[in-house]
This record gives sequence, C-alpha cells and structure tokens, in this order.
Amino acid sequence: MAGQTDMELIKNGIRMDGRKPDELRDVKIVAGVLDNADGSCYLEWGNNKIYAGVFGPMECHPRHKQKADRAIVQARYTMAPFSVNDRKRPGLDRRSSEISYIVSQAFEKVVMVEEFPKASIRVDMQVVEAHAGTRCAAMTAASVALADAGIPMRDMIPACASGKVNDIVVLDLNKEEDNYGQADLPLAIIPSTGEVVLLQLDGHLTPDEFEQAMDLATSGCMDLYKKMRDALENSYGGKK
Amino acid sequence: MSEESSVKSNRKLVLPGDLMETKSKPGKGIFRSEGRIHSSVVGYSSDRSGYINVNAIAGRYSPKVGDKIIAVCAETGPSIWRMDIGASFNSTLHHSESGWKVPFGDTARFLAIGDAIWAEIFMVDAAGSHQISLKKDDCRKLYSGTIVKVNPTNVPRVIGKQGSMISLIRDNTKTRIQIGQNGYIWIDGEGENIALAQEAIETIDREATSEGLTKKIEKLLEK
Repeated sequence: MAGQTDMELIKNGIRMDGRKPDELRDVKIVAGVLDNADGSCYLEWGNNKIYAGVFGPMECHPRHKQKADRAIVQARYTMAPFSVNDRKRPGLDRRSSEISYIVSQAFEKVVMVEEFPKASIRVDMQVVEAHAGTRCAAMTAASVALADAGIPMRDMIPACASGKVNDIVVLDLNKEEDNYGQADLPLAIIPSTGEVVLLQLDGHLTPDEFEQAMDLATSGCMDLYKKMRDALENSYGGKK
Repeated sequence: MSEESSVKSNRKLVLPGDLMETKSKPGKGIFRSEGRIHSSVVGYSSDRSGYINVNAIAGRYSPKVGDKIIAVCAETGPSIWRMDIGASFNSTLHHSESGWKVPFGDTARFLAIGDAIWAEIFMVDAAGSHQISLKKDDCRKLYSGTIVKVNPTNVPRVIGKQGSMISLIRDNTKTRIQIGQNGYIWIDGEGENIALAQEAIETIDREATSEGLTKKIEKLLEK
C-alpha cells in the first residue's frame, strides 16, 4: 500500500484496464479439469491463472491433527516460481502459510466436517500466474473444486476483494492498484446467509469507506457466485 | 432408450446450498437450516414417497452394510488386513471373518498387499470405520484378472437395466466380470478381451451422463 507512482490509476472514473470502479475483471471457471484429483477447478480471473484440486475425505495425517468428532480441512496455497515477475523462491513462506491457514478456517465453516470424524479434506491451490487478488481467486477455485469432489457443504464460498485507489472505493484491484493503491479488503461470504468467512484489510479506510467497500465486495461475491454455479452446471450437463 | 431419457428430463441438477421446495422429509444429500431444507452436494434431486434425496454425482464411496464390494489389500497386521475399498478410510478384514485358519502373524501368506477379494461389508460404525467379511455367500479371493476403478455413482450405469449393459460386455468379450458397489470392477479372461472390456467400462464411466450410451458401447465392442 505504501508504494509511490506517477501512474494515474483512475482517470475520469475509468481505471487503467478500462473498468468502472464497480466492475470485476473477466472471470472464467472450468470445473473437473484434472483426472487424478477427486475434484478440481481451473480459474482465470483477469490475468490470474489458478488450479485447485481436492482430495478426500481421507485418513488424516499427521495423526495428532485428527479430530475425534469431525474432519479437518487442510488447505495449501502455493505459487509457482514463474507466477510472478521476480522468480518466486519455491516452497512455503510466511505469506503462503498465512493464506493456507485462513482458507482452511473459512472452508471448515461450510464443509460438513461433522460427517467425517478423524478425516482430512485436502485442498491444494496452485497459482500459475499471479496478478493481484490471488487469495480470493484461489478460494473461489477451491470452492468449485470441493463441490466437484462431491464433498457435502452448506454452500460454496465466493471470495472477492475491494479497495481504495485515488480516494475512490473500487472493486477487484488489479496489480497496479494493489501495489500503489491505498487499501485492499479481501472478503469471502456464504451467499445464502450472508455470513462472512474471511475478511482482511490492508491499508487505511474511514468507517464510511469501509461500509462502502464491504457492500461493493459483497456484490462482487454474488456476481462471482453465479459464475461458479454456471461452471458446475456446464460441467455436469445441467444446462443444455 | 426413450423411456430412459424421459426419466432423465424430470431430474433436476442441484448445487450445494440450494433451497429445496418440498414438504417431504429430508433424506440423503440434504441438510436443514432454520427449518428449511437445502441440498449439500452436487447431484440430482428426487422427491419420492415422502422423502427428498439428492443423489450425489461425485464423491467417494460411502460403505453400507450388505454391499458387495471388491477390496484390495493395502496393509497387513498380525491378525487383520487393511483393505482399500475406495472409501474415505481403509476397511478392516479381521482374521475371524476371513474363513481361513490364520496363525497369529501369518496373515500375508493368505492375502498379501495388492491381492483382491470379493467381499461384503458387515459393519459400519458411527465414527465412519467399517469392517468387511469373506464368510458371506460367494465371497472369495480373486486370482488373476485385472481391476478397473470407476466412479461409484456410475455403477448402475455400468450394470444397466436388469444387467443389460454388463451382459452386453460379458457376451461380446467372453470375459468374467464382477462389479463391486464401490466402483471397483474385476475382469478376467483373455488378455485382449480384458483390454476391450476395460475400454468399454471406462467409456461408460467417462460418458455416464450422455444419452445413447448402449449404442456407443455396442459399436465399440463390434470392432
């Protein structure tokens, strides 16, 4: 958020990539792309490219992480070395372990974990190309993959960010806006109930702006939810 | 075929969280929230005789007592075998349920890792663990042959109406085929015939939702 730039991020209400402040980038979702995973999804969101694969429910390893009365969700978020401009050193780092943790927590809210005692549901998200908003994109992809794996859950969770750029609250920040903007607010909700399962804030927002950003991100999530449903309906031949 | 497609058009695809408009009692694939009924999985809903169910399209096999299944040995203990049946957990086969007189610690002589059996599920407990038995009906160890794995939800498609699909494959390939409810299918016969039967079964698994499947399989088997 602290970056400085001469770029004009918003000019006459139009952003650098030609979007209006309340517009999402183009999203393409395909369910069931991988043969070896129980469920999978490929997602393109602007320039982000992400694969998600789900395995399980299966016996939880390591054993001390097992819960006698319910399953746990073990999510893993990784970025490919070639996903960013400067080669990313492969392996776990602080950022990816944080994202893995919050995504696991979010999914344990929707997956019916009490149906599978002692089990683990593994969710692997691989960022192939990153262009800001990958944690939201990865969660969205993982939701579709979980549904594709036939895992019972209360709802799918779409995730979408909003933020502040040039003192304007905008939806779905792109790379430049993320680097040089004033705030970034990733949000994931349960569409049927409106419950929030993930909320982070990086940067500064006034209480009014925060309300505005929440409303914008919520509507973004609902738009995204429709696209997730379309992806699953297409893959199972529900729409002809 | 026309009858089959008319049945299909009545089915409705539902996704996790979808509200079900019904007065029926909740069956499987369903959860209740604030007195209302929602679907919990991707599948087709059916509202029959007072119960609403959602039959999941995907997902692992969930064991039911009495199911005939094919199990592959994954691990041996001093008096038990741990068997892979494609469910969330491996199943246990206790030596007392094997029908063999097994000396303590000598389990691998009867059933080694990778060996397959035709067995029945005889116990499932609330914690999700389950046991299988070799003592029922025609249960036995499977020698020779090969095992094909399909999605357990596609097993009825592989069998067909009154076994029409599977007898089509059996007759055309001259193979012995045994289908486990868990989606593991054992094929035995001549090498090339096995390959053909396997191809047919894999085609059914891949295109389970498409129509005119019987014709496609007939064509494939004629080659």
